[in-house]
Parts: sequence; structure tokens; C-alpha cells
Amino acid sequence: MTGQTPPGQGEPLIRLTDVTRSYVMGGVANTVLSGVTLDIAAGEFAAIMGPSGSGKSTLLHILGLLDRPTSGSYRLRGQETGTLSDDALSHLRNQAIGFVFQSFYLIPYATALDNVLLPGLYSDAPRAALTRRAHELLEKVGLTAQARHKPSQLSGGQQQRVALARSLINNPDLILADEPTGQLDSGTSREIMELLAAINRDAGKTVIVVTHDPETAAYARRQILVTDGRVARS
Amino acid sequence: MWRVLSRYPRLLWRLQGVAGQALLAHKARSFFVVAAVAMGIAALTVIVASVDGARRKALEIVDFFGPDAVLVLGGDIENRPVGQRTNTLTWSDARAIARSLPGAYAVLPMRSVRAVTLRYGNKNHEAPTVVGATENYAATWNWPLSEGRDLSADDIAHGAKVALIGDAPAKALFGDASPIGRTVMVKNLPVQIVGRLSYRGFTGGGSDVSVDDRLIMPISTLTQRFNLDRNYFRGLRVRFHDPDLIGVHMENLRALLRHEHKLGPTIPDDFTIMSASEILKFLTAFTGGLVAFLGVTAGVAILVGGFVLANLMFLGVSERRVEIGLRKAVGATSGAILIQFLSEAVYLTLAGAILGVGLGVGLGESLSRLGMLELRLSPKIFVLSLAAALAIALAFGLRPARKAAGLDPIEALRGGGE
Repeated sequence: MTGQTPPGQGEPLIRLTDVTRSYVMGGVANTVLSGVTLDIAAGEFAAIMGPSGSGKSTLLHILGLLDRPTSGSYRLRGQETGTLSDDALSHLRNQAIGFVFQSFYLIPYATALDNVLLPGLYSDAPRAALTRRAHELLEKVGLTAQARHKPSQLSGGQQQRVALARSLINNPDLILADEPTGQLDSGTSREIMELLAAINRDAGKTVIVVTHDPETAAYARRQILVTDGRVARS
Repeated sequence: MWRVLSRYPRLLWRLQGVAGQALLAHKARSFFVVAAVAMGIAALTVIVASVDGARRKALEIVDFFGPDAVLVLGGDIENRPVGQRTNTLTWSDARAIARSLPGAYAVLPMRSVRAVTLRYGNKNHEAPTVVGATENYAATWNWPLSEGRDLSADDIAHGAKVALIGDAPAKALFGDASPIGRTVMVKNLPVQIVGRLSYRGFTGGGSDVSVDDRLIMPISTLTQRFNLDRNYFRGLRVRFHDPDLIGVHMENLRALLRHEHKLGPTIPDDFTIMSASEILKFLTAFTGGLVAFLGVTAGVAILVGGFVLANLMFLGVSERRVEIGLRKAVGATSGAILIQFLSEAVYLTLAGAILGVGLGVGLGESLSRLGMLELRLSPKIFVLSLAAALAIALAFGLRPARKAAGLDPIEALRGGGE
């Protein structure tokens, strides 16, 4: 287990302070995020919106500990993440964050059940407890009958529901969804967003959705608009 | 990686399951790696088995011949000058050696008759060799009798019609019954079997005639009854006290025989002295070529297996970028990815090793049945093959596995995006 400092008194789940991110390409520095300061409290359901190229994906990667800020501070659960090693970040991602992606990203040769179990493999939880929980989660997303199916045997909506169950297997505080409805029709999109809303409401998870679709964003109680690498409105 | 190993034994165990699942999902590719590695390991198996077989045979020959003995044959068998006689060894030579060669304690004249028909009742057996020997044949050749007695000095002195029978003719003529006391017709001579030599079970230098297929008679009897030349022997066996000095003994023996045969300084030897090590040299030259060929084959095949592994793994890593990116995103460390891919490599090569040992044993059996190789299969082969397989997996799998481990999850996931 990573040595975690307890969350500071009254400190929000996520605190970004003056976060910048720039890439050097061909000798030219390209700034994607220029000074993002943002708090997101535990239990929020937020949508990060913005046109493509606005930096919202980069922001999501930083929030998901997949990328590090060039400068500035990111505190998650009251813990400064900038000083953590790569392995410590992996562990924190595993325990504290659940991911949902636009293209589902299920392992094609594994069953729905094994896909749900995937983050559990890299945790310390015992196998039996994980399997029990995976079955519960599959039941919650309505896929008990499809537990042994491969992703290719599932519809897009079903695949995304497997991904939702997967994001919850290690009981994380934070769910990050990157365009979760980007490849779904509007009916299926509504089902997925209802499920995300239920996860936020019933399980008390903090949910952050990145989207450019206003209908999807409408499910969130808070809209954060990113333009030109800055938070324009939160 | 070591952090993963030390902190999460459970993870390490789980990664084996992950690796196995991934291999089953890519059966065709896995098969090619397994097949390529198996070829290399098969060649390795044959070469190790044949080297071991040759060594065992060599030891048997030394043991049979005796490390303290030399064999003197009439004539220079390697490069005989035109007109040189092969009947050059006489009783007087034998006596001179016994009398005046330092270190020699036994001098045994030998004579043999080839292809003699033995008959008992209505059964016939063609013995390739009937040996004429002096007393205590079994003792001097370190060849225990399974029953009966050895040839005695009396037998030799009186030209007794007795014989020791080898295992092969004994089986052919008497089956499971005891041959002791029975009378066998050797050509037209009735001979009583007094002893039976125990089973030796190997073929002598270069030929495929078993040493068990022989009959031993007193040299005097053989000479008289088969009308052999009474003055000359085919060979003389000389034994020395100190096997370490065998080189010196051989030089002394050569000088003595040259003196006995009155050979001037310019005249070549009219005899050949052989020790066990010389017979070995001859045998090694015979099998060495095949072993070298197999060695090169094994090396190339293992190398090819390694390259196939590396290439297919690189291909797999690029095809499975999304999987790798996803695993990292949900919490797999670089070490966990490295171990997963290395484990996949190890399982493939181990499967190749097991298949390869099977193939190699089969191939070796057919080669030895064709008489091209003497094989000896031992657990060492299995251990060596597993070690070689592990080495291939680590040597050729490490770079692709590190490539997988080093992938940036964002890049990897984007690579699989639309």
C-alpha cells in the first residue's frame, strides 16, 4: 500500500492549482493547458466540456494520473501527486480511479467477467471477493446472462456497461469517463448516462465526464467549460 | 520489476494466468514460436544424447580393452608397405616380451578364425569370431563368467576340446537352458562348453558385430584343429603394471619388437601397437563429423526460434497496444506488464522445449536404429533443454517485453482509437 496522507480537513477530493501542460514538438513548445485551477469535491457529478483541441482530454489525463503536469500542483484525496513514483501512481490509479473510455477498450479475448475483474488483478484484494463483486456489478448493469460472453458477442451499449462495471471493481472514489457516449446511439447513450448518474447518486462516487455533447453534459450537476487550455467557466 | 516480485506474490501468480490466457487467444502465433523453438531443442537433444552415447561407448571400450593393456597386431595396419607380411608376431616375440620388457606382467597371444558355423542338435549359428586364447581368458579381459569355469593352463597345454561361449551363440543354440557341459560342433570338431561369458552388450570399434557373438577356445586347440600357422599369431595382448606409464611402455615395446624383428633404422615397423586411447581416437573421428553437423544445426535452429519469438512478440506488442495501454491505465505497473510478456515468452519456449525433447528423442531413436549414432538419454537432456528454452525466452523476449512495459498508456490507447 502506498503511504497515503489522510485528506486535509475540508480539502476537496481534487485540487488543481495553476496546472500547465506543454509539449515540445520539433523544438517548438506547444502549451495545451495554461494555468488550470480547479476544485472538485467528493460526490460531485461534473462534465468537462469544450471544443476539440481545447485541452479537455489532456486535463482528463492529468486528473486520471496518466499524465503529469508540466508545472503546478495536483492534489488527489489531499495527497500531492507530483512527487509520486510511476509505480505509486499506478497503484493510486488502481485504487482510487475508475476509467470509462469512448471506445470501451475491453480485452477482446477475455470474457465480460474477466474484463470486469481486470483492475482487480492488479490490486491486493483476494480473488474470491473480487469475483463475487464482479458478479454483483454485472448484475447491476444488467449483464448477468452475458458474463461468459466475449466483447465481440456484445452490443456497443453492453460493452460500455461492462466497462462501467470494470471501473467500479476496486471501489474507487473517482470515475473518469472520456466521451462515454461517443460511439453510442442516443437511446443507449441515455442508458449509460443514467447508470453513471446512479453510480454518483447511490454509491456516492465522484463522476467526471469529458464530452462535447450537451445532452450528455446535461446529466451532470456541474459544467466545466475549457477553452484554449483554460477553465473558462465552472 | 523486483518491487512487483517482492511486494505482490499474489500479483505474480495472477500474471501467469493473464499470460496463459493471452497465449490461448493467439494460438496460431503461439504455435509458430513453439514449433520454431522445438526444432532447435530437438537438434540439441540429439546432439547431447549422441555425445553422451559416444562417451559411454568410449568408456565401455576402454573398460573392455583395459586401460593398462595394449594390443600388438602383425603388419602396419595404417600404412602397410607393399609386400609387407602381416604374419610377423611369433612365440619368440611373446617370450621376449614376457622376459625382458619392464612393467609387462601378462603376454597373451591371440588368434582367431572368422565366420565359423556352430551346431548343436538341429540348431545352427554362425559365429563371426572364434578366438584362440591362453589360460584365464575371462579374468584377463575383465569379463566375468555368468556360469562355468575359465580356460585353464591344462586346457592350453593339452589342446583340450573345450570352449567358453559368448552370450549370443549361447542364446541361439540353447535358449534359456544352461550350455555348460554340452557339446557343440565347431565346424566338424566336437567341443565341450565349460563356461559362459556374461552379456556385454556393445559393438566393438567401428563394426556392428556384437562382442557377445563369439566362442573362445584354447589357442593350441584352434591352431591344431583348424590348421593355422603354428609359428605366427594375429595379435598379442600385453598388460602392464602401471597404466599411467602406458606411453613409455609402448615405446619400449616398439623398440623391443624392432630389435627382435631385426629392423634397420630405415625400415618401417612390421607391426602395430594400439592402446585403448588410440581406438578411441579412431571412433571419435568417426562420430565427430556428425556431432559437429548436429551442433551447427542445433545452434542455427535455436537462433531461428529466438528470432521468430522476438519478431512475433514485437508484432504482438504493436497489435496489443490497446490492451497494454488499458492495463496500465487500470493500474498495472511497467513491471507487471514486463512480467506478463516475459511469462508469455517463457511458456512458449518451455512448450517448445518439451515438444522438442520429444521430437529429439524420436529422431535420435531412428538415427540410432539406423546405426548412425549411439544415443544415451538422461535427465540432463531435459534440464539442458529447459535451460536453453528459458535462455531463449529471456534473451529474445526481453526487448519486446520491455517495449510493451515502456509504452505510454495515453499513446497506447490512442493508437487503438478510431
